[in-house]
Amino acid sequence: MELIPSTAQFTTLLDNETLARLERMRLAPRRRLTNRSRGEHHASKGGTSTEFADYRDYVPGDDVRYVDWNIFARLERPYVKLYRHEEEMHVVSIVDASSSMQYDGKFERARQLAAAFGLMGLMNVERVSSFVCNHAGKEPLFLAPCTGRVSRRRLFEFLEKIEGGGDFPIDQAVEAVLRRHRGRGIAVILSDFLTFGDLERPLNMLFSAGLEVFAVQILAPSELNPEVTGDIRLVDSENGHTIDVSSANDLLGIYQEHRAALEEELGILCRQRSGRFLSISSRDPLDWVLFDLLRRKGWVR
Amino acid sequence: MNWSPFFAAQWAWLFFLLVPLIIFYFLKLKRPRLEIPSLALWRSVLNDQRVNSPFQRFKRNLLLLMQILLLVCLIVAAMQPFMPSGADRAKYLPILIDTSASMAALDENGQSRLDATRLEVRKLIDNLLPEQRLCLVAVSSTARKLTDFTDNQRVLRDALDQIQVSQVASRLEDALRMTQAMARTVSIETVVLYTDGNVPPQIDFELPFQLNYQKLAPAGKNIGITALNARRNDARWDVFVRVEGTKPVAGADNPPISANVRVLYNGKEAGNELVSLEPGQSQRIVFPVEAAGAGTLEVQLKPDGFDALASDNVGWLDLPAGRPLAVFCPVELESYRHALRGLKDVLLYPSDDGGSRAASYDLVITDRKTDADLEAATFVFVGVVPDDLAKLVRVDSSAAQVIDWQRSAPLLQHVLLTDLAIAERPVSSEGIRDRDYEEVGYEILAQGRSGPLVLRKETGNRTDYYFLFHTDRSTLPYRVGFPILVSNAVQVAMQQAGLSEVRGQQTGVLPPRALKPDMVYKIKAPDGAVSEVRSSVDGVLSGVAAPVIGRYTISDGSSAVASVGVSLLTVTETSLATVDQLQFKELSVGASGTLLKTDRPLWPWFAGFGFVLLLAEWWYFQKRPGGLPAR
Repeated sequence: MELIPSTAQFTTLLDNETLARLERMRLAPRRRLTNRSRGEHHASKGGTSTEFADYRDYVPGDDVRYVDWNIFARLERPYVKLYRHEEEMHVVSIVDASSSMQYDGKFERARQLAAAFGLMGLMNVERVSSFVCNHAGKEPLFLAPCTGRVSRRRLFEFLEKIEGGGDFPIDQAVEAVLRRHRGRGIAVILSDFLTFGDLERPLNMLFSAGLEVFAVQILAPSELNPEVTGDIRLVDSENGHTIDVSSANDLLGIYQEHRAALEEELGILCRQRSGRFLSISSRDPLDWVLFDLLRRKGWVR
Repeated sequence: MNWSPFFAAQWAWLFFLLVPLIIFYFLKLKRPRLEIPSLALWRSVLNDQRVNSPFQRFKRNLLLLMQILLLVCLIVAAMQPFMPSGADRAKYLPILIDTSASMAALDENGQSRLDATRLEVRKLIDNLLPEQRLCLVAVSSTARKLTDFTDNQRVLRDALDQIQVSQVASRLEDALRMTQAMARTVSIETVVLYTDGNVPPQIDFELPFQLNYQKLAPAGKNIGITALNARRNDARWDVFVRVEGTKPVAGADNPPISANVRVLYNGKEAGNELVSLEPGQSQRIVFPVEAAGAGTLEVQLKPDGFDALASDNVGWLDLPAGRPLAVFCPVELESYRHALRGLKDVLLYPSDDGGSRAASYDLVITDRKTDADLEAATFVFVGVVPDDLAKLVRVDSSAAQVIDWQRSAPLLQHVLLTDLAIAERPVSSEGIRDRDYEEVGYEILAQGRSGPLVLRKETGNRTDYYFLFHTDRSTLPYRVGFPILVSNAVQVAMQQAGLSEVRGQQTGVLPPRALKPDMVYKIKAPDGAVSEVRSSVDGVLSGVAAPVIGRYTISDGSSAVASVGVSLLTVTETSLATVDQLQFKELSVGASGTLLKTDRPLWPWFAGFGFVLLLAEWWYFQKRPGGLPAR
């Protein structure tokens, strides 16, 4: 998958038109996962933002500055205006950069989605950070939390420069990220989730840390519909382990069942923790994913 | 009987090769490597219980299975399996194929009996088992071995393709004796005979082996010339043509058969007549032909509608020029000369004064041994004992009587020898029996009490009659039968000279012909084949094979000497009558109702299946694993 040429483009990850459309979109988490410091993220509780939310009866002790005097003049009863509470939300993207993501544009699609989610966070004055996980045992590459439109360049440069390759399983990568990350909000996990480890533990840790999981499984077409036949020796790209498969074409039906079961399991794990899960192909058009699929799924507004 | 379905079961030890095959398979198995992002999904797939089910395990080693199947196929093919037919297997199997004239008969589909035989025999050759040897023998009036015992299918097929119909009648004895001779060197248990059934039912042979009589389906209806002869009637010939058709088929519609008979004398039409025959009937037609000199007569039969056999639709007669019979009789035999003078068309030599001799004669009647050197075809010796019988018989002066005589012999027809008084007595030497005379070539025509009285000997185209007693010393010249005896001698001589009656020559062997002695003659057959035959020191050309109908030309190298027309003229061949039972001396053999069953070799099927497996395995092995693109 080719990235966009840098000439006349703000970033090679996303074209300018896509950037313009993304800047008008917002993330839509299900939970109240905000920091106490004020931001531009509208909390469901009443707040002191300039955006009107509702009226309610005045009770003694309320700040009289919020009494709507125009209503009082007409109805001779005091009503208090309620405003949306705007808090700061932390959007952290965890990009799986191991060797298994180096097939058929999976890694490139992960970087583009990380850039898109990060941009949406920055444009909504959220705190945005990013982790890229390559090699097991090493610290993930880390983009320190940043906010505001001015941080766009920093975010994009970080994602443009990272390189793939390694053997970091996504379950261990999440735990490594949580050892460093601080803040509540949304954790966008961009991975193929093909790991031998247990994903329940890292998802629990994310939930406990106040992060709503936005899990995006990115699979290559050759993983969605593998075309293997005969007797072959399959080699794991990350650890070099092998298994021998005979009459592989006869096993494709079972393979599809197991892949569907993995998707189902991941979806259940995420939903049980108020999270969301989505599986896409690396060949799916980016615009369709961002502006159609994510909207229909309610991930963004 | 061997019920094992393998001919070479000893090759079963090759199954031990399966052990190294399996060992080497697992030692040498090299799978193509394919790098994929992660094994996580595939490992869970392989951990699935269904993948490890017995059937899946079986499929996992498909390549090994194919190799085992391939090896098993090759080993089974090497063991030479066959499908037993239930019939006994003969290692040496002579195949007698009838090639007589009737085998050229066509059925309603236009297939000749010989072609039908070829199809059946070809099946035998195609299904020839590894240890089996076939020998093809063509049977007509004689037998001809086409191949030795061989398992070379190419040789057998070539020989089968070269078999041609001989336009002669069937005779099985020679072929069976030839097979009997073969049995002295190899073990022959069964002999297969393929024929249309148009063979003589009585066979003078003692079967030392089993005969499998394979009778083919009958041919269609036929009509043909079965007899052709001519008798001189003053200056003309009366030509007799007998036309016969096939026997009626029981339970079938048998319409009459009609044909047009046309007679050509020296190429010009001399007669034409339409005949219509009910099935199984025959008809004799007489054509008068004016022919003073020598000429050739051809009779053509043109059937209306289907006719199975073409070779019996034509016949030839060679008519000689008419002339008086030249008879030599010494003046001392006045009784004979007296009788001869009263016969018509007889020139008697010498004249009464002893002069005017001729260069050659048709008949010599003499009582002198020295006259045996005269050139003639028929001799009647009176009171002469031939030199080769000197040790067998002597003549004394006692009286003798005739005990018995052959009344049907041409010389003695209508001659009554009862109570004939003979003053000389031929006496056989002690221990000499009739068989001893036959062994030296003599046939006893009249038998006395102590020895033969009248003998006949045929040498080439010469016939000698011997009266061992002198008729002048008997009452024979005074009997009524004496002129009849002389007339019979003249008739025999006329027959011999072809002056009174001519019969159509049948295929088989050309009639002996008097030509120059010890000279090579070329005989050109109607089919273009040329053979060379040397005449005997007596000037007789004999033993010339004539297997096909038509005119044979005899030449001395520079010019044609004679031309002889040969026709089929056989009632049995024309009638296409078949026999269901062959009667041998001690037993009879019935026609087999079913076609000959043979064991069918199966090794080509196993070898072919092995080859297909090899191709499938090659394809399976070379097939690239599909799949995952490069990074």
